[in-house]
Amino acid sequence: MDSSTQRKVIVIPCSGIGKVFGSISREATYELTENLRKETTQTLCLALLVSGDEESLQLVRNNKCITVDGCPLQCAEKNVKLAGGDFACSFKVVDAYKENRYLKPRTVTFLDHDGQQMATVLAEKIAKKVDDLLR
Amino acid sequence: MSEDLQTVFDKFEFRVRKGYSYTEDDLWVSVENDRVRLGISDYLQRTSGDAAFIEIAKEGSTVERHAELAMIETAKTTVSLHSPFSGKIEEVNQTLTEKPELLNLDPYGEGWLVTITPQNLENDLKSLMAAEHYFQLMTQKLQSGKLESR
Amino acid sequence: MMAEIQEKKVGIISCSGEERVEGTISRVATRLVLGKLRPNKTVTLCLPLFLAGGREEREFARDYPTITVDGCDKMCAKVATERYSGNPASSIVVADLTGKWLCPKLSSRRKLNDEALAVARKVADKIAEEVDEALEHWE
Repeated sequence: MDSSTQRKVIVIPCSGIGKVFGSISREATYELTENLRKETTQTLCLALLVSGDEESLQLVRNNKCITVDGCPLQCAEKNVKLAGGDFACSFKVVDAYKENRYLKPRTVTFLDHDGQQMATVLAEKIAKKVDDLLR
Repeated sequence: MSEDLQTVFDKFEFRVRKGYSYTEDDLWVSVENDRVRLGISDYLQRTSGDAAFIEIAKEGSTVERHAELAMIETAKTTVSLHSPFSGKIEEVNQTLTEKPELLNLDPYGEGWLVTITPQNLENDLKSLMAAEHYFQLMTQKLQSGKLESR
Repeated sequence: MMAEIQEKKVGIISCSGEERVEGTISRVATRLVLGKLRPNKTVTLCLPLFLAGGREEREFARDYPTITVDGCDKMCAKVATERYSGNPASSIVVADLTGKWLCPKLSSRRKLNDEALAVARKVADKIAEEVDEALEHWE
């Protein structure tokens, strides 16, 4: 895990395996942490956090957290809050869908073009929030 | 005692609210004096996916039996809902416009769609199913279909 | 409430560990089993929902044979299943199957290269074997 002392925002997707929006939450997080805001964001495994991994717990408690959820059950948000993370805000993939109704992502295992597009659009939105949080 | 009939298919619980009537295309109907309240069944919300958009006929308008009453769009599909009654649409659940997820989270409660004053309540009710009958129909649908996992 | 599963099915609960390529491999392998190798015999249990208290997921894992698929030796899916539902029917760890850790430079965790995809298929085959085993013992 990255031990940089630079301030970062931790972005945690739900990565729900059964629905396309779960895959999009994951892909949006990667787009953000590996491309758009590589220096100022980081992701971590939600399951690891919930299982009580100390390093993960310290990371979410000591940094602002953004969650990205694929469905209304909002598992990432719930779990980060339960872990005592410094929860800043949540993003829901369905909101990206509402704002980009022409996109019809269909495939779950490997995202199709529309799924990739939606992930990119969502990542760009999250990036702006990251900038706000670090201002 | 539970207010719902329940079954489990794969890992999902499917509930049918007792005391309501149902259409074959998965709408529930609750009679409230001279009006009826309508919504979608747990089976329909589950199989359609997470609602993102909903369009419902206007409050105060009239609707003909079998005419389109509402349209729900999910990531998976678009579902057209047809009215089992002719009558006047008294109320539309405006909350659904901002929170369509209520259809999924609470289909028998906060996810209600409309209330209607039917022109011919008694007659139109005869074409609906009791909860127990709908439960059997739902079970048959489950056995013949495949659910997308969560 | 009476559970009425019409057919015998096996649950699969997979990590999706975002930090490692092995997490992505777990996820892809599980999806391959669900969609192609054993589509009518398996049910996926969503780990985030499981952890957040998802009743349906936990009850299924409690009442039916469940296979856990983990990317690394922290075994989050296995630990969670044991904690909330009971011992899984079997547990698979991607790193154990490959016999070594995949070097992250060889494959992005975000998009699996050919080598990592081959590993995912191998893991999927292994999961499918475990599914068959669980169903056989069930009967």
